[in-house]
Amino acid sequence: MRAGRLAGAALALTGALLLSACSSGGGGGGEDGSGGGGGLGEAETLDAISFADAEASTGPAEEVPGATPGGTVYVLQEVSPNHLDPAQVYVSAESNIAKLMHRGLTAVRMDNDGNYSIVGDLATDSGTVSEDGRSWTFTLKDGIHFSDGTPITSADVRHSIERTFAPFITNGPTFIQQWLANTGGADYRELLPEGPYEGDHLPDSVLETPDEKTVVFHFEEPQTDLPYALAMVGYALVSEAGDTRENYDQEPLATGPYVIEDFRPDRSMTLVRNEHWDPATDPARNAYPDRFEITFGHTTDDSTQRLMADNGDDRYALSFNNGVDPGNAPEVASNPEYQERLVQGYQPYVATLAINAERVTDLRVRQAIAHALPLNGVLNAYGGAFGGEYAGGLISPLLPGYEEGYDPYGKLANPQGDPERARELLEEADAVGYRLNYVHHTGTEDARAAVTVAEALEQAGFEVNRSEVPQTSYYDTIGVVDNGYDLYRSNWGHDWLSSATVIPPQFDGRQIQDGANNYSHVNDERINSEIDRIRQITDPSEAAAEWFGLNEYIVEDVLTQVPLYYYKMNILHGSLIGGAEFNADIGSVDMHRIHVLQDAG
Amino acid sequence: MLRFLLRRSLGAIAILLIISAVTFFLFYAIPRNPALLACGKSCTPDQLAIVERNLGIDKPVPMQYWEYMVGIFAGRDFPAGACPAPCLGYSFTDNRPVLDTILDRLPTTFSLAVGGAVVFLILGLSMGMLAAWRRGTWLDKSLSSTSLVLGSFQIYFLGPLALAVLVHQTQILSQPKYVPFTDDPVGWFSGLLLPWLVLSTIFTANYTRMARAALIEELREDHVRTAKAKGMSRSTVFFRHAWRGSLIPIVTIFGIDLGSLFGGAMITEVTFNLPGLGRLAVASVVESNLPMLMGVMLFAALMIVLCNILVDACYALIDPRVRLA
Repeated sequence: MRAGRLAGAALALTGALLLSACSSGGGGGGEDGSGGGGGLGEAETLDAISFADAEASTGPAEEVPGATPGGTVYVLQEVSPNHLDPAQVYVSAESNIAKLMHRGLTAVRMDNDGNYSIVGDLATDSGTVSEDGRSWTFTLKDGIHFSDGTPITSADVRHSIERTFAPFITNGPTFIQQWLANTGGADYRELLPEGPYEGDHLPDSVLETPDEKTVVFHFEEPQTDLPYALAMVGYALVSEAGDTRENYDQEPLATGPYVIEDFRPDRSMTLVRNEHWDPATDPARNAYPDRFEITFGHTTDDSTQRLMADNGDDRYALSFNNGVDPGNAPEVASNPEYQERLVQGYQPYVATLAINAERVTDLRVRQAIAHALPLNGVLNAYGGAFGGEYAGGLISPLLPGYEEGYDPYGKLANPQGDPERARELLEEADAVGYRLNYVHHTGTEDARAAVTVAEALEQAGFEVNRSEVPQTSYYDTIGVVDNGYDLYRSNWGHDWLSSATVIPPQFDGRQIQDGANNYSHVNDERINSEIDRIRQITDPSEAAAEWFGLNEYIVEDVLTQVPLYYYKMNILHGSLIGGAEFNADIGSVDMHRIHVLQDAG
Repeated sequence: MLRFLLRRSLGAIAILLIISAVTFFLFYAIPRNPALLACGKSCTPDQLAIVERNLGIDKPVPMQYWEYMVGIFAGRDFPAGACPAPCLGYSFTDNRPVLDTILDRLPTTFSLAVGGAVVFLILGLSMGMLAAWRRGTWLDKSLSSTSLVLGSFQIYFLGPLALAVLVHQTQILSQPKYVPFTDDPVGWFSGLLLPWLVLSTIFTANYTRMARAALIEELREDHVRTAKAKGMSRSTVFFRHAWRGSLIPIVTIFGIDLGSLFGGAMITEVTFNLPGLGRLAVASVVESNLPMLMGVMLFAALMIVLCNILVDACYALIDPRVRLA
């Protein structure tokens, strides 16, 4: 998922800080910015995610050691959800809250040892795939209900999928719709233009519900990532009988452990237990607290200061999305008291500098740009080592297949850049004085980084023509195919723990169009064919390794995006919060495991 | 009086119409498409067209404005349902009725404004009177200097400072928040105390200086000199004759200040994370949320206009020589 437009609504409310809603700018960091060579202690490279069988998909969830049910957890959030209809939920500020209320056919579970698996959530297992990878079958569990007490059937699954084609659903994920329609962009809507609301339905050759418990997805191409996609909140179940179309966005029925007792947009939300949720059916959620009291409008410095002070109700507080703000980062990083209450990991986002392949056509010129870039100066502009870590590739450390230490341009050892090597490459290409049109936005961090980047490029022999656009229209500007620029920063984060949501959206040359996410406009035959080939691989470990291999080809032989840094996440919590652990799938604290430390209060 | 109110009401409607038209058309002068914010992950031109249609911004701007105004007086139909008059539309971002959201935020802003006004009026007028009463003494100089210093501060500086010292470090005051008065009067008071104090610090300083100047000016008036010549006591002259006359400029400014506060004390609400109209206004600008922006702007303008009418009416009470008709 891109970090720009989706968080755009939140962007300017408090400047760049609100990017943490989806994203990237919020983590912040110290000003010293000595770099970020080393990895975080808590974050480990993931093995491939396993697809769990029926036994592993049976509830209740594994107990968190020492946890007891009860109490109220206070959550300090910056951005209030704009959408409650799960099909409209995509950005992390919304999905992190929605995960407490909604369940899908599958879920990502982190166990006590930090291992991840895709489990059957409302389904009995993570799905059965046909030999050709084009059909997936799911069977619903017994004893699953919506929060109004009605049982969940395959008709509800069909309805939930079909309504994502309706014109009023515009904010949620579109992966499964596109796979079912075998199209890109918004063309999938032609398959069911009005959704299920005018009496039309997807044909059985696409989506089949032979009985009340069974759902079969049929695709024209193998779709090995379906269990991952189904775990997104955007594909959580919506009641067919209780669907109120547009108004479902105001009062949705829940399937998870909590329901909304009270919601005042941009002010507060109270979640209480859903009495129709049966923990025996849920292998992924512990749901220890009795209540969640969520308040909105907290800037990162406000939430950080409150959590540092640790007074009153704030002792039972944390944030799902607000990282430690840059101003307080040095104090938090150096004080052992805060360290004990700090949860660290990586955000899903990787920052890169995109090079427009249609304009900068000589690989040597692109390599010269990569060598010239001073990653330390760029990272310092965005908050330093507390907020990020130098990146060698395009694949996040959170993803299976990531290889630590990958550094084809020697940036980890030499983050200040190598202008001499850059000039050599320019001379080889007979391109000294090459003019680069570089666009950045008006945000403080972006503007600071742009100065550093431009100076380094000019030192290496480029001529840089720097332009500035408003922060809120930045991604709209660079998203135009004929944008007239050579260089621009772009952030990307995976949608689930697979590089299949990183490489294809950004590098598939057949997806170049206005508003699409191939910002560098690269259209390389080998990349396109490799994307098609790797998508057919059904073994997750093998696929992860192959995606990383394609990442190496892109970075070394194509180089239309220069990796800059991996975003880190630093979440502080109150002293009476237990079970606060970083979850790589969520990119934040695992809200399903947290509990109130009863005996300490 | 009735003619006065009728004339001012017609004037208010004209002002609101002008403000609505200016806001609406200026919004579209900014080269930014609000549909982009609701366009989802891959915002292709086709997808964008669907969102624009859903938001109702695919039509010409004058037609949109006409439909908006019709909605205020006659109501409108939306995909989410009928919106009865006065219909301010649905929010672009969360698809909720604008009027409901404004009414939801109003108690916070109202509590902040009224509470703050009570504090700064009492403190400001008292200190101003004291300074005027003791004109030229060390007390007058101290109060004048203090008010000058405090008036120079800004809420975005004082607010975080007060939060850090009085709430986070010493815990003398509780974390600012809005609790409905009807739910918990004590919680309402304690939650708003710090915002009131910070808000009133700056206003108090201004009102101290204003009250002092107005009183001193009034004390030079002929009717005050006459009262003194008649042998009235100093306190009678001061409180009965001079003070009353000095209220006119103060009430004028107070009407504007209170109207502005009812429209949303933006910096105070953002600083203390209070969910009022001010914070809503900031968010609606940031999010290119035209219906919400229009709603907040119109409401703020209405408050200022109403407060001004009220002030004009008060002139007659303060000064019997004023005739409203």
